Amino acid sequence: MILATEPVVGSGRRSRKRAAPADEESEAERTEALGERSVRLARFYQGKIETVPTVPVRGMSDFALWYTPGIAAVCREISATPDAAFELTGRWNTIAIVTDGSRVLGLGNIGPDAALPVMEGKALLFKALGGVNAIPIPILTSSPEQIVETVLRLAPAFAGINLEDIASPKCFQVLEELQRRLPIPVWHDDQLGTAASTVAGLVNALELTGRSIGSVRTVLLGAGAANIATARLLVALGHDAGRISLVDQLGILQPDREDMDELMLKNRWKYRLALDTRGGGRTGDLAVALDGADVLLAASTPVPGTVRPEWVRTMAKEAIVFALANPLPEIWPADAKAAGAAIVATGRSDFPNQVNNSLIFPAVFRGVLDARARSIPDAIVLAAAQELARRAADRGLSADHILPTMDERDVFPHVAAAVAECAVSLGIARRRHSREEFLARARELMARPVELAEALAKAGLTHPMPDDPGSGGTAR
Amino acid sequence: MSDSSPVDAALKIHLRPATAQDVGALVPLLLRLKRLNEEFDPLLKVREDAEARATEILKQDIAEPSSLVLAVEGTGPEQGKIVGVVRAQVRERNFYAPSQEGVILDIYLLPLYRRHGIGEHVLSETSRRLKEKGAGIVVAEFPAQNEIATRFYAKRGFRPITAHHARLL
Repeated sequence: MILATEPVVGSGRRSRKRAAPADEESEAERTEALGERSVRLARFYQGKIETVPTVPVRGMSDFALWYTPGIAAVCREISATPDAAFELTGRWNTIAIVTDGSRVLGLGNIGPDAALPVMEGKALLFKALGGVNAIPIPILTSSPEQIVETVLRLAPAFAGINLEDIASPKCFQVLEELQRRLPIPVWHDDQLGTAASTVAGLVNALELTGRSIGSVRTVLLGAGAANIATARLLVALGHDAGRISLVDQLGILQPDREDMDELMLKNRWKYRLALDTRGGGRTGDLAVALDGADVLLAASTPVPGTVRPEWVRTMAKEAIVFALANPLPEIWPADAKAAGAAIVATGRSDFPNQVNNSLIFPAVFRGVLDARARSIPDAIVLAAAQELARRAADRGLSADHILPTMDERDVFPHVAAAVAECAVSLGIARRRHSREEFLARARELMARPVELAEALAKAGLTHPMPDDPGSGGTAR
Repeated sequence: MSDSSPVDAALKIHLRPATAQDVGALVPLLLRLKRLNEEFDPLLKVREDAEARATEILKQDIAEPSSLVLAVEGTGPEQGKIVGVVRAQVRERNFYAPSQEGVILDIYLLPLYRRHGIGEHVLSETSRRLKEKGAGIVVAEFPAQNEIATRFYAKRGFRPITAHHARLL
């Protein structure tokens, strides 16, 4: 599979760093204009990815090699040694993007048919940023058991599975089951990608403000896929679980809450966190949780004002505030800073410190695929987060620079190499190379899609955007 | 995870017969159990007046010698807090031997007090007290769909004896 169009990472994003709250009306207009253009371009290109051969086909006789009868010998090798599929086919670099369409972007449960454009877009990102061949597979079921069954049966074609836009809490069950039963890495980006990039930003924010993870008090606002994974990773990093308060619509999650029995039956991950954190020793609402807290990690409702400045004011000195809801943060960065926050991050590219899972997932997959990893434990997720943090630190940390940006392309192969090295050290790699070898390989594989796209565009085999006045493109 | 747990060491609870003064603290726990039962089965929909009924029933049971109401008290930082409730009664079995059965109607522990062996301790203590009241067999009543309870009792030697099958009219 190659890009049908030039990867345009970074283009179309405004580089202007806004300090003041945005005008929400123009925000809505901008989103609407983007949407209209997306539809026009979708109609023009009719798909963002396609499959192309990697081998020469000089004439019909070559098919005797690529197909029957020659190919039978290749099949026999795999039949004798199943792992040989990772050497003799494209399996090593191919993953499935699986969704049931039950929680797509901010659109909610729109089903598998309507989820396809997002999965195609994700496949484009996987290729453009990670050099990974990703196949969109929306499946027609909403039952977690059937999602698991379907993926188990599809797995022979893939070296990894990326679960996407599956609603919480069934996403936890699906991920756990598949990770337990498949001999390849399974990832749920809404949990792990977001959690890893959050943790990466937090590691640097703690460094900048002279804090140690072992002694901070952290409030997680929102108890969805991302924050539940983030809480687990924080504890794995040495955060005292008893100093974490997870807050949702009902207030601080703690073991005496009325909905605990329901959670026990329907969301055992959240139930477990209630027991492990004991609400951070507190009961009450967000305001109670934030009093004296060092860190707020909000992944909740895209409504500015969800976190009020007067609550931020009660946080510890030099507070760290991540307001990650999209498209609008829970509190505008300027308001958080005015209320005393030393470091603010959001999910947006037009403010400093964008916490973005696109910094993580292409590199994580590049890494696990290059190591032919059998799984993707939390240690790997943390290795990715820590390497991402290190990359930003190498360029100098500041309150406005705790994470690399998407334009820093060399970050991706470094994170990939850290991931691959971690897989080797954990003994889950089918292929053991040095970190330098993994880095070189990742650079090569990540550069290829860019070169391909340029070559195809130059040869006129892909089309410039028809509505781009600078491109000279014409409608087909 | 943290060592400050009031219950990390098993059985750090105090089990005692409930008194009329405990009713206010026991009612919410009993209601939580009934709402949990509703999660298992819509035929166990909790009534609007359940709170008033629970208050009344607990008062009656505490006064009634053939009934058993136990309060589970926390220790350590939760010293004196009521963290669980047991309701049981001894009934005549008209046609079968042994002739007296101790029926466990409700056992509820707050989440923090689960999976630490406390439930098992509460069950054996309840069984002992029912035996003292003359029961020769102990019976646990719970929703058929409650697999957690099914497993809990099965592990401790209980098996299905009678079944209630229901449909709405």
